[in-house]
Amino acid sequence: MKTDLTKLTIKEAHEGLKKGEFTSVDLTRAFLEKIKEKNGEIKAFITVTEELALKQAKKADEMIKKGEGSVLTGIPCAIKDNILIKGIGCTAGSKFLENYIASYNATVIDKLEKLGAVFLGKTNMDEFAMGSSCERSAFFPTRNPHDLERVPGGSSGGSAAAVASDMCVYALGTDTGGSIRQPASFCGVDGLKPTYGAVSRYGIIAYASSLDQVGPLTKNVEDAGIVFEAIRGLDNMDSTSTDSKKKNDLEKLRIGVPKEYFAKGLDKEVEEAVKKAIETYKKLGAEIVEISLPMSEYALSCYYIIALAEASANLARFDGLRYGKFVEDEDGEIIDTYLKNRTSGFGKEVKKRIMIGTYTLSSGYYDAYYKRALKVRTLIKQDFEKAFEKVDVILGPTSPCLPFKIGEKSEDPLSMYLADIYTVSVNLAGLPGVSIPCGYSNGLPVGLQLIGAPFEEDKLLAIASLFEKNHDNR
Amino acid sequence: MISEEEIRRIAKLSYLEIKDEEIDELREKFSSILEYVKKLQELDVSSIKETSNLSESENVFRKDIGEAKNPEELLKALSRRRDNYLEVKKILYNED
Repeated sequence: MKTDLTKLTIKEAHEGLKKGEFTSVDLTRAFLEKIKEKNGEIKAFITVTEELALKQAKKADEMIKKGEGSVLTGIPCAIKDNILIKGIGCTAGSKFLENYIASYNATVIDKLEKLGAVFLGKTNMDEFAMGSSCERSAFFPTRNPHDLERVPGGSSGGSAAAVASDMCVYALGTDTGGSIRQPASFCGVDGLKPTYGAVSRYGIIAYASSLDQVGPLTKNVEDAGIVFEAIRGLDNMDSTSTDSKKKNDLEKLRIGVPKEYFAKGLDKEVEEAVKKAIETYKKLGAEIVEISLPMSEYALSCYYIIALAEASANLARFDGLRYGKFVEDEDGEIIDTYLKNRTSGFGKEVKKRIMIGTYTLSSGYYDAYYKRALKVRTLIKQDFEKAFEKVDVILGPTSPCLPFKIGEKSEDPLSMYLADIYTVSVNLAGLPGVSIPCGYSNGLPVGLQLIGAPFEEDKLLAIASLFEKNHDNR
Repeated sequence: MISEEEIRRIAKLSYLEIKDEEIDELREKFSSILEYVKKLQELDVSSIKETSNLSESENVFRKDIGEAKNPEELLKALSRRRDNYLEVKKILYNED
């Protein structure tokens, strides 16, 4: 019997490599075949790095032979296209960076490379991570492997779809307001957004610097823990990064269920699946505590003001002179060059977000919008701090809705923004959050979100793993 | 609703060109988002401190020594290069 190598988890693939059942080159070839077979319809990848992957796989096989391998050595993965890999194109889903080749590695890429990882390619995303459906990629929309007419979520939709369709063992994504967890939920995979500062952001194309984090999308909870452990830690190139980590001191499991997360706006199918998940935890002896996060209704407004303000500042660097989109033009002054490059390089949604961010930071509006949002952010953070005095984790749906159809929400920005309603406050408060599959409705996956206290990823993942092992997802 | 003049002012601040036919749609979308985020005005935040940064670490300084690792890699991406410099249009003009 020949097993399908593309279905393996990190742990399983590692065992196979260690025992010599197959090599990393075999494994990598199996994934490259799978990508050839499936990427045409799913469109998860912007770039497939076949040559690089095979080179890395050969090197990994040598490492394994010499006994120098670790659990990630020789394991093929996919990387979101806003994370730099030296010598490989990095578009951030934008025409602005269509021909940009990264000149250095992101710290997370350095870390994985040292461990002997294999990079299969760069995955599709909403332009500059601004979106919740992957429809805002400047190149093409990615499709949900569970239903090709539906979106995979976003902005890390390419990464989530690649994991869900076995085009890689695991993937890296980034999460500013839910961009790992929401696509994980839509594609039926696991996605971890670490505590702010747990993972270095060096070499990541920034969206909103006080909210962005890198994290894994995987086939099970154990794998998420393995990848997180490999990429976390202090980095001198990112002064917000830290080695902080709390021990998993779980004794009696107390789970907080915020009443605000089950109010209006939540789809019935999602609610049913999440309530079943609560029953599973009850059967496992967990104490379910009803809690309140009264600031929840302000989170989305607060998030959009802060994220867009930071984005307008971060995207100011894209002038097209040092890299990226450049329109040849002999006439005019230098400001005309900036205007031409930016206007032709950025997509419609990105331009709108830059302008709104600029507006809320501009003289006369700063206090009413940006400063006020920073104060509300404090209140949101305090909500969570109070909750974590009583409970170990907070449980709720990852997304209020099932994966929607391509085109269904693209005309109404607010209805699209609402897809992030349960995830944005986690970024505002800097907390770790994980989305794990908890059931299906009409063949579409539903995700359960668990939120932890800062730097308690180990505890959070232990609680998620307990669920994964005991819950019937059918 | 936000005025056309205001949209043009913001576009200029953002270094973006706006076509005349884009103005109406932008005014509409801007207004709907600003209307939505107005919700924050409901809260009394007069005594609340701002949270702009969640980082627990202090500022980090490195030694003041050059450490360009591969300048050639960076220079390759320049829109116009002259030797090891970025060539741009004239940026200083005489008054007259």
